[in-house]
Amino acid sequence: MGLLMAIKQLDFVFPADHGFSELLASFQNNFYVKLQAETVNYRVFYDTFDWRLYNNGSVLEVHEEGQSRRIYWRADKDGDLKIQLGLRQVPQLATDLADSEFCRQLQSVISVRELIPRIKIKIKHLPLVVLDKNKKVVVRINFDEYWYFPSKTRAGVVLDKRITIKPVKGYVNEFNQVVGFFNPMQLSEAQDNIMKLALAESGIITTEYTTKLNLLLDAEMPAEQALKEILLWLLDIMRQNTAGSIRGRDTEFMHDYRVSIRKTRSALTQINKVLPQGIISKYNKFFSGLGKLTNPVRDLDVFQIKLASYQHDFSIAAQKHLQPLRDYLAQSRAEAQNKFIHTLKSPEYRKNIKEWRDYLENTEPTRPPLENTNKEIYKLADELVWNIYQLALEEGSAITDDSEAEALHELRKTCKKLRYLMEFFQSLYAENKIRELIQALKGLQDNLGEYNDLHVHRDILKTFSKQCADAEANRACKKVIKFLEHRQVKTRRRFAERYASFSSLGIQKEFRDLFVESHKGRA
Amino acid sequence: MKVIAIYNIKGGVGKTATAVNLSYLASLDGASTLVWDLDPQGAASYYFRIRARVKGGGQKLVEGKRGLEDAIKGTDYESLDLLPADFSYRDMDFFVELTKKPGHHLSKLLKPLSEEYDYVFLDCPPSISSASESVFDAADVLLVPTIPTTLSLRTYKQIKKFFKQEHYDSMKILPFFAMVDMRKQMHRLIVEYPPSFMPGLLDSYIPYASEVERMGVKRAPLGDFAAHSRAANCYKSMWEEIKSQLYPTV
Repeated sequence: MGLLMAIKQLDFVFPADHGFSELLASFQNNFYVKLQAETVNYRVFYDTFDWRLYNNGSVLEVHEEGQSRRIYWRADKDGDLKIQLGLRQVPQLATDLADSEFCRQLQSVISVRELIPRIKIKIKHLPLVVLDKNKKVVVRINFDEYWYFPSKTRAGVVLDKRITIKPVKGYVNEFNQVVGFFNPMQLSEAQDNIMKLALAESGIITTEYTTKLNLLLDAEMPAEQALKEILLWLLDIMRQNTAGSIRGRDTEFMHDYRVSIRKTRSALTQINKVLPQGIISKYNKFFSGLGKLTNPVRDLDVFQIKLASYQHDFSIAAQKHLQPLRDYLAQSRAEAQNKFIHTLKSPEYRKNIKEWRDYLENTEPTRPPLENTNKEIYKLADELVWNIYQLALEEGSAITDDSEAEALHELRKTCKKLRYLMEFFQSLYAENKIRELIQALKGLQDNLGEYNDLHVHRDILKTFSKQCADAEANRACKKVIKFLEHRQVKTRRRFAERYASFSSLGIQKEFRDLFVESHKGRA
Repeated sequence: MKVIAIYNIKGGVGKTATAVNLSYLASLDGASTLVWDLDPQGAASYYFRIRARVKGGGQKLVEGKRGLEDAIKGTDYESLDLLPADFSYRDMDFFVELTKKPGHHLSKLLKPLSEEYDYVFLDCPPSISSASESVFDAADVLLVPTIPTTLSLRTYKQIKKFFKQEHYDSMKILPFFAMVDMRKQMHRLIVEYPPSFMPGLLDSYIPYASEVERMGVKRAPLGDFAAHSRAANCYKSMWEEIKSQLYPTV
């Protein structure tokens, strides 16, 4: 490697309290300089809604310079330098890309999530060149101001000022002379940390988003206050996932939104005699309507994913004949999603949500109080969890090998209610103990959920078969139905074992210890 | 890395102007580009304000005793570098002849640059010799500027004939009309009805234009001082056409 190859550009941070103009005047006294036109460039950092790239140390950024648009990628923090991708635009989903190393790396980090522009940096770029006596460019220097605008309404802030000294091949001495000029200023070397600086300025915490209920409830707080906090938290999850649900490509937004609705309804109806009945009826009806709109979308999403995973269980010919089914699923999903999006965009929806938030944020206690309004939340939590747990045991124990699917369905709903209650109130109990019990419950829920999904998927196939005129497609469909029936039987067989584990004496004792005994003596 | 040679046995047909303007356009695309001024007259080096001299001598460079990268100079344009001419290149044939495989010598010299550059433009001297043969071997395309006159067409035929005799791939040859003066009847006739022995003739042609001559005064490519002139636009069209030939699927 030649000497020239060893010289690299130098990037320095310019002290925030110094102006470029003073430096420039001094520089011009020492070098023959030509100022070039100031330009404005942008760096746009893409990431998922929940910052999966940043949290993994990956970077996907677009440099916009005039008409030019370059996309750079770094797989993870241990990876090499960023590489420029030969793409014209950032993909929305990893599946938008043809199979490639980049596609695989991206998918491993973002999974099904959508990429959106998260941080945009404006760079005021003042380039100048140092000329020799023949007016030949021998060194390039850039003065860059990095601006960040936290929102459209907030004033921009200068994140950093930087000087870049770029060598021109074959002009080593001139480069060294320019570097020598800057040396006495003892400028510190710039890091590739603009995104970090912007995040610090914005106050965004990239690990903050979670659908796990991290609320810290005070054990002795009145039940009404605790319930309102839980409901506000769920409302906030809905808010965070509304825009993404409307955009519609990333299915996780709608999923998180939908789970929050279900949890909201569960909290409203289970934590009862706390809020006025009129409020419960009104909002249970409202959220129930919303939930129903999400059901077909989610069912179809899950089925499409499952169907793709079943592919290898069918012959190539059968796979081919399933194309009309796939088209039907995609179309049905799009129709169902449009209905849901239409509702989310409606003024009526916005009005209801605003009123709901206003109600929850109103700290005035309900008057006259209901039976549980002012009860200390730990007492109510103990009662509710213990009662629903008893119900789960009762329903589960009644299930035999001959029981109807309906009985499993009821148990599934009861277990879901139990799970939500345990999650709402988890901060009131010893963390390791409640986590262990949630895990025990999860094992049973997985089995019941799979059984139910298979049932739903068979129903979807039957509906499709009724309206499908393609004989080959119908035959292929019947094969899938049979396949699902077979799987359902196997899942059903595993139920007894899962239930036995959940209802074991050991787990029963732990439930009792936690929800009956642990708060004894507190009052 | 694509190697684009601009070649004609005849001098004064616009080879250097073509090399300078097309390489400038390539660098504007963001492509890392190198011009190698192989003509001892050093006109391309002059246009880029770089002295036509290789430190340590051009002979060692051509013989492969020194890496080309040591002699490369940055131009006034980012992504565009120059390997300057050297007066010793007048004896290039002699140096090339002495190497083990004269026909492949240039390819061998350029190979180490293939990671760094997307395009290498070879501004060739007006001759036909061992060095030219090495150019024919190394080039992905051979751009042949041709003035639409009887004598120039005759020269073009000679190049074609030589390619055929020596079994070079004649598909590499992309002729185009240069210094076209549509006021002249002969130019008009030839451009409008190009001869059948010019398959691969580019649709774009370069007019005879005073802006091109001003490159010598400005010492810069047209894009730098007359970006919207007719000649500059013709080079732009030509560059697009060449790219579509180099990357047919893009």
